[in-house]
Amino acid sequence: MKRLPLEGIRVADLTMMWAGPYATRILAEMGAEVIKIESPRAWDNIRTLIPLPGVDEPWNSSYYFNDYNRDKKSLTLDLAHPLGRETFLRLVPHCDVVIENYRADVLDNLRLGYDVLRQARPDIILVSMAGYGKTGAERSHVGFGPIIEQMSGLASMTGYGDDGVPFKTGISYGDPVAGKAAAAAVALALIARRRTGRGACIDLAQREVLSSLIGEAFVAASLRGERPVHRGNRDPRWFAQGVYRCAGEEQWLAVTFRTRGEWERAAALLGIDPALPGGPADHDLIDARMSAALADRDPQDVFELLAGAGIPAGRVLDTVTIHEDPHLAARRYWVELPHPRMHPWKQPRTAWRLREADPWPRRHAPLFGEHNDEILRGLLGLTGEQVEELRREGVIGNAPVNPGVG
Amino acid sequence: MEASPSLPLDGVRVLEIGGGISAAFAARWLAGFGADVVRVEPDVESLSPDEAVYLLPGKRRVRADAAELAALARAADIIIEDGPPGVLAARGLDPAALRDERPALVVVSITPFGQDGPYAACPATNITAFAMGGIMSLTGMHQREPLVTGGSQALYLGGLDAAGAAVTAYFGALVHGEGDWVDISLQECMAGMLELYGPRGAYEGAVSIRSGNHVRALWGLYPCADGYAGVCALERQVPALFSLIGDPELDEPRFRDPLERPNHDDELQAKLYAWFGERTKAELLELGVRHRVPIGAVVTPLELLDNPALLERGFFDTVDTPAGQARIPGRPFLGLGWRPGALADPVPAAQILPRWSPRP
Repeated sequence: MKRLPLEGIRVADLTMMWAGPYATRILAEMGAEVIKIESPRAWDNIRTLIPLPGVDEPWNSSYYFNDYNRDKKSLTLDLAHPLGRETFLRLVPHCDVVIENYRADVLDNLRLGYDVLRQARPDIILVSMAGYGKTGAERSHVGFGPIIEQMSGLASMTGYGDDGVPFKTGISYGDPVAGKAAAAAVALALIARRRTGRGACIDLAQREVLSSLIGEAFVAASLRGERPVHRGNRDPRWFAQGVYRCAGEEQWLAVTFRTRGEWERAAALLGIDPALPGGPADHDLIDARMSAALADRDPQDVFELLAGAGIPAGRVLDTVTIHEDPHLAARRYWVELPHPRMHPWKQPRTAWRLREADPWPRRHAPLFGEHNDEILRGLLGLTGEQVEELRREGVIGNAPVNPGVG
Repeated sequence: MEASPSLPLDGVRVLEIGGGISAAFAARWLAGFGADVVRVEPDVESLSPDEAVYLLPGKRRVRADAAELAALARAADIIIEDGPPGVLAARGLDPAALRDERPALVVVSITPFGQDGPYAACPATNITAFAMGGIMSLTGMHQREPLVTGGSQALYLGGLDAAGAAVTAYFGALVHGEGDWVDISLQECMAGMLELYGPRGAYEGAVSIRSGNHVRALWGLYPCADGYAGVCALERQVPALFSLIGDPELDEPRFRDPLERPNHDDELQAKLYAWFGERTKAELLELGVRHRVPIGAVVTPLELLDNPALLERGFFDTVDTPAGQARIPGRPFLGLGWRPGALADPVPAAQILPRWSPRP
């Protein structure tokens, strides 16, 4: 079987919430051994953010946590405890990468900054992914994905246009975008290390990565002083486009007519009057006729009709219908992994589909502290007595201390 | 910290074919990190002039006929392309065949739906791809139609994933001797980033409906005195936020108790509308940082060009254009060598080929 690109790479993963775990889920699927480190006193909040009602050990039974942390190992360590810090520094020499998404000052406050890590392993690669980076006037700001989206410039570009209101994307968009970039940073730093023998200290600001996805707006701003214009679902580069309600509960279809010819062909297929008076109201007319024509039609039928005719169309797949999409099924995009506490569900594979190595999720997300013995005794060679001391001191554990909601 | 680290991709040859936003963005990052990027000019340029100013600096642009294209492909370490499935093969550059000839080669193909499957041949634009990726169903007001996020996010996400996959597969080729053919589907780039809503739909079969700017009162965006600002408070940050607002009613159990609070969300939203409405973005940001409450403000790219933190961190590259000097997002992160690029005019491939000898 062909080897995965990151086979042989070991990652000490201090990340929590979504951005960092999104990055390390990719790294794990690319073959890296990812050791997720949480404190019994400060566990990954995602475990307990939306507890399933009435389950034992909700921190082990969260679909939110489990979706983004599969293929990883779980080691508990309270880094704020001297023994936890010491144990972590014994782990670092076995690792190629340390990755964290704490607020900018936290790692240094734990006395685990790059210079300390480098003493433990001279060619260590540290990836930090604070919201605004480790330096600069805004480094102390706290932020989650939607905040990052506002501060990146992107939210200012999204809106219906008739009310002047900017909109957030419906997910914490800054998180996975930063996660994808952080995974790329790891590979670039590994390439650099292979060439120079030196590690790297990567300072990734989530806000900056997101600003990188709207580069042309900075060109317009710097050359012509332009501010974003809200265009709703329209796009001036095409003849017309929109999102139209179809039959069914909240079912919608996005359609682009790149040219007048595509509009006329679609109109013929849908039995719509293609004639337009010419002028600025044409687009409104197209929208009105499309809305009327699609209101009672099945979105999948219309999608297939238009796409089959070479006209760009896309169902607004929702969080249920996307799991039923026949194309993603044919692509073997979803996997179901057995989990000791939960029934199986469809989880997405990485978008980095290496056709030959064919990366495949291997194992469910780890239970809290599941790999403590394997790593502490197996990898670090601690004695049973030393592990027991860590347990006695509360440095490691098999359950969070005082878990509440959030 | 080391002074000016070397470029991680120095000497790596990247061939960009297709030249849409996706391939151009992926190749832009590779160029910045030192790769020698040759962009094969498409017959019809699909980038807008502003997109070209952002995405083309640091690349060599060539006009190539079929034979020259084949010669460039034989000399490349990484090929990034965003044409429809089969187009490369039709030009005599079947990725599988190229990989057979040269196992270390990395090919990254970016398409709306991937190389195979029932929709593989379907065309897409940014908005139709965004719709099929699921994020759109969650974006916008539930009283109105779903809303596409600004810019060309579906296309950029394809480029972002392509860049990461390209360098990861290239690292694999360095270590194991074998590259790969990476099949990036825009739909899959997004279908795996649906936060808790995707897993919830899969696990519980429960659909999540778009919630506009307020997932809940404490996770929302509000008008303020000079624009819009937002708050995202986790439970541990709620006490600090409430004391900041200073309304004694917020001490009552219906707001304090995380299980009670959702039943009074409208009332809480009203309080936040009032509180935000009286303050400017600058005041709100200052309060947020001082009290460790996650608060943000909606800023435009124009405002960000003067942002002190971004300037201090050296985020922007400058590019000379016929219309003046543009400032564009530069290195995506600090810590690895990055080289700002200049815009170049297209040249005949014959000028490049002598320096691009075939790779063994």
